[in-house]
Amino acid sequence: MKRLILSMGLVAVAMALSATPLMATPFTCPTRGGDLVFGQEANVNSLDQMTSSTISTRNIAMNIYETLITRDENNKPIPELAESMQEAPDGMSYTFKLRQGITFHNGKALTSADVAASFDRYNRIGLQRSTLDNVAGWETPDAQTFIIRMKQVQPTFIEALSSFSVPIVIIPAEHKDDQRQQLRPVGTGPFRLLEFVPGSHARLGRFDAYKPNPAFEQRTGFGGYRVACLDTVTFRIVTEASARVAGLETGALHVVEDVPTRSLEGLRRNSAITILPLQNWWIQIALPNTALAPTDNLAFRRAVQAALNVEDIMDAATDNNYRLNVGFQYPNQPSYTDAGKETYNINNQQRARALLRESGYRNEPIIILTNRDYPPMYNAALVMEQQLKAIGINSSLRVVDWPTSVQMSQRVNSTEWHFFHSGWGTQPALGALATMQFLVSPGANYRPKDDKDDPDVKAAWDDMNNLRDPTARQEAFARMQRLVLERAYAFPFGSLTKVQAARANVKGFVPFRIPRFSNVWIER
Amino acid sequence: MLLLTLRRLLSAIPVLFIVSLISFGLMRLIPGDPAAAIAGIAATPAQIEQLRRDLGLDEPLLLQLLHYYQGLLQGDFGKSLLLGKGVLAATMERLPVTIGLSLYALVLTLLVGVASGIIAALRQNTWVDQVAMMVAMLGISIPNFFLGLLMIIFFAVQLGWLPSGGYVPFLQDPLGWLRSTTMPAISLALLQAGLLARITRSGMLEVLRQDYVRTARAKGLPERQVILKHALANALIPIVTVVGIIISLLLSGAVVTEALFSLPGMGQLLTQAVLSRDYPMVQGGLLLVTTFLVLVNILVDVLYALIDPRVRYE
Repeated sequence: MKRLILSMGLVAVAMALSATPLMATPFTCPTRGGDLVFGQEANVNSLDQMTSSTISTRNIAMNIYETLITRDENNKPIPELAESMQEAPDGMSYTFKLRQGITFHNGKALTSADVAASFDRYNRIGLQRSTLDNVAGWETPDAQTFIIRMKQVQPTFIEALSSFSVPIVIIPAEHKDDQRQQLRPVGTGPFRLLEFVPGSHARLGRFDAYKPNPAFEQRTGFGGYRVACLDTVTFRIVTEASARVAGLETGALHVVEDVPTRSLEGLRRNSAITILPLQNWWIQIALPNTALAPTDNLAFRRAVQAALNVEDIMDAATDNNYRLNVGFQYPNQPSYTDAGKETYNINNQQRARALLRESGYRNEPIIILTNRDYPPMYNAALVMEQQLKAIGINSSLRVVDWPTSVQMSQRVNSTEWHFFHSGWGTQPALGALATMQFLVSPGANYRPKDDKDDPDVKAAWDDMNNLRDPTARQEAFARMQRLVLERAYAFPFGSLTKVQAARANVKGFVPFRIPRFSNVWIER
Repeated sequence: MLLLTLRRLLSAIPVLFIVSLISFGLMRLIPGDPAAAIAGIAATPAQIEQLRRDLGLDEPLLLQLLHYYQGLLQGDFGKSLLLGKGVLAATMERLPVTIGLSLYALVLTLLVGVASGIIAALRQNTWVDQVAMMVAMLGISIPNFFLGLLMIIFFAVQLGWLPSGGYVPFLQDPLGWLRSTTMPAISLALLQAGLLARITRSGMLEVLRQDYVRTARAKGLPERQVILKHALANALIPIVTVVGIIISLLLSGAVVTEALFSLPGMGQLLTQAVLSRDYPMVQGGLLLVTTFLVLVNILVDVLYALIDPRVRYE
């Protein structure tokens, strides 16, 4: 709690000050040059970061584009293109001073007009334009100043603005009318786009006129002091896991994401390859349908909760690449809380049976909805099915593909499923606020009848959003998490580790929410 | 011949109409939310809902059908939900990859299949015949995906002779194109070559027993002329018929091969479109591929008539 207050205070101070270079030596490239090839598992169809929430787009786009503010390694908002940010005492406006001397990849100098145009486009067609619902408008009193005016106070606005889910990337003003998915890929990032063939590859080249952020001395999160050491980075789409591993072994690929567990043993013995596990990639989770009997019954849900052995579930789901995790944030995050921990990994069949009797369960069929597109979800569902059967629940799986399972899970008052398996990745990484929106209407994931929120959960959510004191907001989050877990509105099993790998001569690559290629070099 | 071609082209129109209607209907019958598929696993319900509205996926079905045919009549195949660009443009970008790969595979199929079929027929019941047919069976039996993986492990990982994946355009670097498409083409071609070898062998055996072949030999013609001019010319008829089918199979087989070798072709595009419920892309892509295959089969019919003067079309 104190850490949260301190860290938020530090951020505020850092952002209120004009940027001055720190006394320590900033990062310099030990070697420069070379072409690094990254094996990406998912196809990418567009680099329009404003209209896409896909991880595959973000992987590439966030090496090209930048934002006013972003997140650091510990998920705290930090300035990026903004040199400083001042929040008005009444909370009704935010004034950003832009860093000097920033140019776009087309040579044009960045001004506040470009920032305004970027916000205009985002407000028109941005996928997450609801971020600006509370914004009355924006102004550009001079070329280096950008002011956002609010309709009402929103204490969490900076957290929302710095989100990397669908960020408001800054583009040249003349691109503001580019159609959805057709944004010309010109940004201010350390790499510029050289070639993009959807379904095949994207090639980025060092942007020689890039100016690292002098407020930092190292890369941190999505920002910090970034330097392009490599001449080019090629993102090659390699959807087949075996082909990615083969590419890594031959050296055709220098870094790959998502190495299958069956290949790890062989790769570990290869001295030319380094294994890079990325912990806390997503929270493996199941959600109940509380609009349908018997999952509308608290005792029944608690019976299920008591029956679950989450270690077995996570082991099967992740091939032993997991961590047990209480709640909806990770221990390394400032917002982490273990509120509700007594509901986690109970694994007590006797207690589960007693709760089942209390619920009056009459052997109705229980449908567990899952999909094969994401093996961890399928495997977790398989084990959960068996654990429920062990306490006398008549459970079975309904296996469809991901788009179908999402469609089915989103129907209000659905009668087709009782539990829905999913994975929460980006939202927990963004923070408590982004995560807990999954548990409020519209579209609360525990599917309350007629999509009407549990009033206690809603009250906690409102406090998370509206209380001005960060400590109070954190307490509201802990309260909301406890309520959700005690009322069994969600069954978080644990966090999945995503295993990446790189050639041993690739230095400076640290796994993160995106593959970051600034401050990365190839050792000769 | 011209009349034949025109008649075939006209008869293709109802085929294409039916395909367009079926593809429209089928895609909408398949459960699944296109917005969820396109937005990806990281999207929130609010983002998915926003996307659904942005893409016009909440329009009534009949209105969507009306817009679709209105566009088709003007040569507009629609705009891909996933790519944000025209279906025709997206297809034209990817088609050369698939056609190039399929042509390469077809050349290998014809060379290996026809040659081994002829040799097996000429050396009937010898060890040459047995080996040729065994290899043909092997080609038919091994799934192309498995063969592709084996080749990657052997030729890419172990020997380092060929790249494990990726595509180099022909115009950019012909040698690079050859290297990047050789393993995919072989994995595609082996099955078809095996089939073609067996069909060629059967056809040749049938023809070699004919009186006119005996007569040709009796007249003292060189064996090469007997085989290539007299026997093969007549054995070509069933082969040409099968080639039309082989082209269809090569195009559909390209789906798996393109995924394995990371080739940005039509197969990969259409697969992703189906999985993502990209309705316009599936509808337009299917229509274009169907048109292509219809034209190929018309060509086969024309070739048939050219090869066999006994065939008359009234």
